[in-house]
Amino acid sequence: MSYLELAGLQKRYRDSVAVDDVALSVEKGEAVALLGPSGCGKTTTLRMLAGLIDPDAGSIRLDGAEITRQPAHKRNMGYVFQSYALFPHLSVARNVGFGLEERRVPRPETARRVEEALGMVRLSGLEGRRPRELSGGQQQRVALARALVIRPSVLLLDESLSNLDAKLRDAMRHEIRDIQRSLGITTLFVTHDQVEALTMCDRIAVMKRGRIEQIGTPEDIYERPATRFVADFVGRANVLPAMRNGAGAISVWGVTLPATAPADGEVDVFVRPQRIRLAASGEPSGEGMVQLTGRVLRSVFVGDHVEVIVEGAGGQLSVEMQSGTKPPAAGTEVAVLWQAGDTLLFPREAT
Amino acid sequence: MNGAGPVLSTLAGIVYALILAPIVVVVALAFSADNFILFPPSGYSLRWFQQLAGNTPLLNAVVLSAQIACLVTALSLLLGVPAALALDKGRFRGQEALKNFFLAPLLLPTLIVGLALLLFFTPLRLTATLPGLVLGHMTVTLPFVIRMMTTAFSTLPDDIEAAASTLGAKPWRVIWRVTLPLATPGLIACGALSFLLSFDETVISLFLSGPRASTLPVEMVRYVEGRTDPLVAALSVILIVATLIIVVLVERLVGVARAVGQ
Repeated sequence: MSYLELAGLQKRYRDSVAVDDVALSVEKGEAVALLGPSGCGKTTTLRMLAGLIDPDAGSIRLDGAEITRQPAHKRNMGYVFQSYALFPHLSVARNVGFGLEERRVPRPETARRVEEALGMVRLSGLEGRRPRELSGGQQQRVALARALVIRPSVLLLDESLSNLDAKLRDAMRHEIRDIQRSLGITTLFVTHDQVEALTMCDRIAVMKRGRIEQIGTPEDIYERPATRFVADFVGRANVLPAMRNGAGAISVWGVTLPATAPADGEVDVFVRPQRIRLAASGEPSGEGMVQLTGRVLRSVFVGDHVEVIVEGAGGQLSVEMQSGTKPPAAGTEVAVLWQAGDTLLFPREAT
Repeated sequence: MNGAGPVLSTLAGIVYALILAPIVVVVALAFSADNFILFPPSGYSLRWFQQLAGNTPLLNAVVLSAQIACLVTALSLLLGVPAALALDKGRFRGQEALKNFFLAPLLLPTLIVGLALLLFFTPLRLTATLPGLVLGHMTVTLPFVIRMMTTAFSTLPDDIEAAASTLGAKPWRVIWRVTLPLATPGLIACGALSFLLSFDETVISLFLSGPRASTLPVEMVRYVEGRTDPLVAALSVILIVATLIIVVLVERLVGVARAVGQ
């Protein structure tokens, strides 16, 4: 039995199912991301965990105890809202101390723990400020301190970084991950940002239309996506329509792949742009490599890499080259190479 | 005022002048030295203010109206705020129907309300009594408070209250520590408007007043029916000043509450 267990969790609204049969086990101290596009039910799942929404079916167990119908104020879960939801009429110190006051923790201890929590999020000295006098990043830290100071059984973060600018977001990502690790606090993140999910979590649950598509480590999700949706949503991928030969072998751009199609029906080949290498045309391919030929259409400098668009017999694909290397000129005939093991095959989706 | 052209400014000026002109007349008359209403007055004095100080029926009416307005305000908030909380936060059958039910008296002509109350109160011996008048005025102020506070509560950011409950606050603690403090500007405005609505209420009071208990507007109507001296104008000036003080106070308080709140 894991520390936190969701089973068969379901929430319907009048004409749609927001969360459908979600099951998830989280170990103590683990950080798990619920990743998915907006409207996939990830926030609804998080709110059901916090007791802010009643599930229609299913159960939530925390540390062996059933808490499915327990009201929010008894659950002891720290929730960091996307909007931060700070109390505008209270000072930073009283915002952070709110949960302790409600728990009737003695004043000296409250003061000490508030100070400690504010120190942890590096906001010491701002105790007397009002939330509106703080920057977005500072407000986010107050929200985090307020959720952590109650020593919650589980920390829930709802798109907590999405309102911050890119640089601050990077910094907070590491900061939150460090705090989470050092406190060993069981954490669930809700995010639509794959980088956030990949960098901040031990495991990721990718959600689509109220269901979990795949649960796995960041490497699993990225390298071995279970479904076409996961492959598409996490990271970038070239989608190449494949042809099926009589014997079940499949080919792309007229080249037969050393792989067989998993099932009947049309299939597409997925290859990550950064797994593809370009070589001079006619260079012999190594063992276990897939080799296509094409012509460079154009290359785009993106900063940390150069994106090269290659056109071949069956369409275009994009290749990521390290920046600093000189991309081949437009019009050059090139060989497109990748490890056979980096090929992902998924049934074609009806469009 | 930049942006408004000369034509628009002139029009605005004319409208203001039309609205304020009667008040100017009243103020001028209040300081009249004449024995009857004559505009412009032939001379100015404070004699009508002195007269007013000796007019017991009107002064009694002021006291009664103030008492009624205070009670009405307190009771309307006491009943209306919990009702608004229930209508906004609760999830129960007939919620929408109840919301509309509480809105109905606001749409009904007060003439009908007044008549209905008279018929209803007479057998209960509530006409021309303080409780009767308070209840009568509450048919106007209570729906108003419920309506305004339901809106005030529903426009509070949802997550702030949710945050309080995830932090361990029981539902009533959430209301006490978060909902009500954030709704303070609305509460102050509601209180002040309830007071003014009650103090000013004439139609229902006309039905429910009698020799034993008569509110200020009713006494004033009676007075001008029988007399044509500027006494009522002097009283009006005092009321205008008092109203202005209340409005400025509320403006300040709401402003302060907003500043503290947001």
